Amino acid sequence: MTDVRKYLREWAMPHVLCPGCAHGIVLKSFLEAVDQLQLDQDKVAMVAGIGCSSRLAGYADLCTMHGTHGRAPAFATGLKLARPDLDVVVVSGDGDGLAIGGNHLIHAARRNIDITVLLLNNSIYGMTGGQVAPTTPQGAIASTSPGGNSEASFDPCRLLTGAGASFVARVLAATPIEMTKTIVEAMSHPGFAFIEIVGDCPEYFGRYNKAGGGAEMLNFIARQGESVAVPLTSKRFVNHVPAPEPRPGLRTGVLNREIRPVYSGVRGAVSDEA
Amino acid sequence: MTTETKGLILAGVGGQGVILASMIVADALVRAGHDVKQSEVHGMAQRGGSVFSHIRWGAGVDSPLVGQGTAEVLAAFEWAEAIRSVGYVREGGAVVADLRTIVPPGACQDRRSWRRGYPDVDPELFLGRRVKSRLIDAAATASELGNVRAANSVILGAVAAFLDIERRHWEEAIEAMVPPGTAEVNLAAFRAGSEASDARIPGRAPEPRGYAGPHLIDIRHDWCKGCDICSRVCPEFCLEVDPRGRLEIVDHQACTGCRLCELLCPDFAISVTAPTEQTPKPSEAVTNHG
Repeated sequence: MTDVRKYLREWAMPHVLCPGCAHGIVLKSFLEAVDQLQLDQDKVAMVAGIGCSSRLAGYADLCTMHGTHGRAPAFATGLKLARPDLDVVVVSGDGDGLAIGGNHLIHAARRNIDITVLLLNNSIYGMTGGQVAPTTPQGAIASTSPGGNSEASFDPCRLLTGAGASFVARVLAATPIEMTKTIVEAMSHPGFAFIEIVGDCPEYFGRYNKAGGGAEMLNFIARQGESVAVPLTSKRFVNHVPAPEPRPGLRTGVLNREIRPVYSGVRGAVSDEA
Repeated sequence: MTTETKGLILAGVGGQGVILASMIVADALVRAGHDVKQSEVHGMAQRGGSVFSHIRWGAGVDSPLVGQGTAEVLAAFEWAEAIRSVGYVREGGAVVADLRTIVPPGACQDRRSWRRGYPDVDPELFLGRRVKSRLIDAAATASELGNVRAANSVILGAVAAFLDIERRHWEEAIEAMVPPGTAEVNLAAFRAGSEASDARIPGRAPEPRGYAGPHLIDIRHDWCKGCDICSRVCPEFCLEVDPRGRLEIVDHQACTGCRLCELLCPDFAISVTAPTEQTPKPSEAVTNHG
């Protein structure tokens, strides 16, 4: 087993994230996937916007790009079109990806450009002070909803499946081995791959909602997960749109996988490569 | 009915194809004109439990169960199952055993060494019983033929040498029973099994994982934020965060190298590596930065 620390910018460590924040686990899992895929560090580009999760790009010793809030998928689209030889990975948070940059995310999915998006969902805006996010569960307390969030929340995986993402998966930060496996699959997938990674924010979400620290929150998340296995045989694509959830539980695993033409930027044409 | 009947035992572990193999034997015996009865036990097989099948045949069979010390042949798909069932074989009978070892969870009381409770692969265990034996490596033979799942057919090939059934009955039974598209490889496996000679005994195995000492736990205290995830997930209670928030290794010897702490550390502060041959003493194995 390789020590993934070799992929870190050691001079930038330790990172700024709070104690118990799962974002570091996600970075480790991602670097483990890069290691398993034996990718050249100069051929992987990590593109980030703004937010706690987007800070991760700063610590990875890969090609990294720090863009504007919510626009990471747009930067990534441009980068992939200009440099198709790179493996482009967007790391984004729930607020960054679904609120500020919601449009960029769904249109990248619609085009089916060959990038991978890791959306780190911690159900709250962490960096700016614990405001309610589009993924904050109904009833949960945030700094802008002290009496409990009255709005319904997004299901990012169903949103992205609807937008046309050809690979949609949900994993839990509490299950790092499965997470690495899914990231490897997503990066190997031809076309737009989206992974929602359910993590914790002990500092804001945990404190406001009395959910405990990192260990308690990860344990809670792990118990909520409900794994779905979509049967997939090679050469036969399965387009499985998850049914409405009958009870609160996080359906984890690969929720949608299909092969469809990949956008290459050539006028009026799509790449035949699949 | 007083006619003479003969018995065969097939024994293995869930997933090895014991039941399919016993159906093939029974079918071949029916094709050869015998009255055949077969009975099997396969409870809890998916958890590494044993699967065995009794087959009796002759001009007329009343019960499928083979008595102790009466079987013509024991076909064992796994080493411990061979030893478990060897008592069924009559004197002068034959044992066909695969040298494969599948250590059941119940025999792994020591998760670091994986040693306890599993018999050595040692043919001496058959001495003292006057039986013929053929010890083969069916999985390797089947892998060479392109499908490791045909290992059960390799064993049947070796069993055929000890039974008086015509070749064509065997081949017809295999073709009729195996999953579609696999008849060819299974027939090839059967032929390879009937020609197989004794495999080399792998010594006093099994040692799937040797124990070279405790794993090396490397903690970077300058990166650790004391979030307590590692100490809470460690199944062996090796780690503890002291009241000042400093992570300490309290029981290094207990570490089994599961790496949960490393995988779930958000701060890249822990790394767990398997010990090398020159394992340092536990006190030296702990590296502390900062």
